[in-house]
Amino acid sequence: MTANPDGPLRRTVAVANPHGLHMRPAAAFAQACKGFAAAVTVRHGDKAADGRSPWELLLLVAGPGAELVVEASGADAATALGRLCELLLAAE
Amino acid sequence: MHIQRGIAVSPGVAIGPALVLDTEGVVIAHRNVGPDGVEAEVRRLAVALTAAAEDAQDRGRVLAQRLGGGVAGILFAHSSLYADSAIRRDIEAHIRGQLYTAEYAVSRSLRNFIKLFEALPADTHLARMRADLLDMEKQVLGRLLGVTPTGQLPLSAEPVIVLASDLTPSETAGLDPNTVHAFATESGGPTSHTAIMADALGIPAVVGLGRFLSDVSGGDRVIVDGTQGLLILDPDPPTLARYEAARRSQVTDSGLVAVTLKDVPAVTLDGVSVRLLGNIEFPPEARGCIDYGGDGVGLYRTEFLYVNKVTDPTEEEHFAAYRAVLKELGPDRPMVIRTLDIGADKFSGASELLAGEKNPFLGLRSVRLCLKNLDLFKTQLRAILRASVFGDVRVMFPMVSTVTELRQCKALLRDVCEELEEAGERFNPDLPVGTMIEVPSAALMADVLAREVDFFSIGTNDLVQYTLAADRNNEMVAGLYNPADPAVLKLMKMVVDAATRHGTDVNVCGEMSGEPLFVPLLLGLGLRQLSATPRKLPDIKRTIRSLTVADAERVAAEALRLDTAQEVGRYLREQHRRIRPDAAD
Repeated sequence: MTANPDGPLRRTVAVANPHGLHMRPAAAFAQACKGFAAAVTVRHGDKAADGRSPWELLLLVAGPGAELVVEASGADAATALGRLCELLLAAE
Repeated sequence: MHIQRGIAVSPGVAIGPALVLDTEGVVIAHRNVGPDGVEAEVRRLAVALTAAAEDAQDRGRVLAQRLGGGVAGILFAHSSLYADSAIRRDIEAHIRGQLYTAEYAVSRSLRNFIKLFEALPADTHLARMRADLLDMEKQVLGRLLGVTPTGQLPLSAEPVIVLASDLTPSETAGLDPNTVHAFATESGGPTSHTAIMADALGIPAVVGLGRFLSDVSGGDRVIVDGTQGLLILDPDPPTLARYEAARRSQVTDSGLVAVTLKDVPAVTLDGVSVRLLGNIEFPPEARGCIDYGGDGVGLYRTEFLYVNKVTDPTEEEHFAAYRAVLKELGPDRPMVIRTLDIGADKFSGASELLAGEKNPFLGLRSVRLCLKNLDLFKTQLRAILRASVFGDVRVMFPMVSTVTELRQCKALLRDVCEELEEAGERFNPDLPVGTMIEVPSAALMADVLAREVDFFSIGTNDLVQYTLAADRNNEMVAGLYNPADPAVLKLMKMVVDAATRHGTDVNVCGEMSGEPLFVPLLLGLGLRQLSATPRKLPDIKRTIRSLTVADAERVAAEALRLDTAQEVGRYLREQHRRIRPDAAD
């Protein structure tokens, strides 16, 4: 985790779901984001998605094992980042 | 003129204006609006997306009750996608930027996204998103167009030729053979549902044509040659003239067969009569069944009432569908209703449902599914019983594999009878009850099953598949699937013998009974009742009228002595050529 006081917190994780970031995990991720005040961006290569948008998350076309960079900025950014990365690292 | 070659699946020629269905069966009439129409389109879009989101939630809840939360999660995920402002913004940009109608913008926007997923390897989960996106597109378009997207085709008042990428079973179910004169699809194979339906409805069809929809617009005159497997776009005058002539002679030909044989009885040369019944799937086919000389309906499939519907059919919907057929048949011709015969996988358009069962053909389907969903099952049984006072209604249960299952079905039927009686509803208390014999275990237990029912109906398609453990739609093993296999013949003989011993009626209703080739064998085994696609009946009748029972018995005895499906097939072809020298192979 990078701790830059001016920029977002950032962490790279590989998608653990054996089917990739498909519809249900994307919907679950977006739902979880809505529980935090932090703004969340997920990047896959040169594509970026708003963490609250299941649609944009799907359009990252992140298959199993794809490396995603999760960025969070705002009051509860650290908690959010921890929880969201957990979701991506869960196999289910 | 442009000629495209595909797979001929249902013979005949049709010429007419094209009705072009977009990939998922929705017709988009207008592409553009004027600048002052933009805001209205944007509002329509928002309303449609909200409605689609709510509807997906509702359907998810219904599904969760029926099949559990896992599969319902798909619909909840769909709902969150409709509600996502990112998708709305993208579609809105198409409306504002290109002055597209909401419908066209939805289609364009989603198609762009679909392309992203199309590029992925086909067997991955993400690639299957394509089907989800197509389903979503259809749902939203359905709302914009003001129709409930149950998959029904738009009704057309004038005769048309339907051109589509592919037709879903429920779309095919919505086809009215009176206005649809043919269809041609980009995908699909000879055993696809589309192909079977076209054949059943007796309309020319060509499938597997490859891409052509971008070359044709609604209203263009096209020719479908279902005999040669051709689709002709923008035909030149000589071609058109040639096909006009071919079409005229075809009308005369088929009319002649039906007229010459319709009122002639199906009796053998030595005077034994055979009852010929029709297999139908949709109420409008009942008329054709009689026109082709059917003595009634031997198999009324009822899946069309369920497939791709948002909710299960009501008792009244069942009842109306049964009454509609009885109106055509009159009070004396039998109508055998087969209760719901599908797997859990057919209940929704969501692609991930398929992943629920690893082996759906050995899974929760047909009567197994019904016995786990008693409300669903009882609704159908109530409607069947209520319809039974209007004609010769009979009920049969599909895919029964044990005696216990059959007894459970019968017990449930008795419960429903009692309920109806208490409610003061009229029904036939002696409704004839039958069981399909299509699982080898049922064939082996035919002796016991025969004591439990009024009639058997041998469903050869599944019996062949389950006996040989081969899926005929899987090209790698389709060679094993052969109704002429000696194992199948031996099982059929057991069933007919058991039925004869117990005085139980027995019928054959698979595709096997629609082939004149098998008619001598079937009669020889002792069958006196056959049920087939109505348009095959005249040809079957011709074979029946060309042989004696003794002749048929010799054919059956000899076929039962052979070792392989190939030997049996060869022998039956030889015999059929002898019995029906007029018939082409």
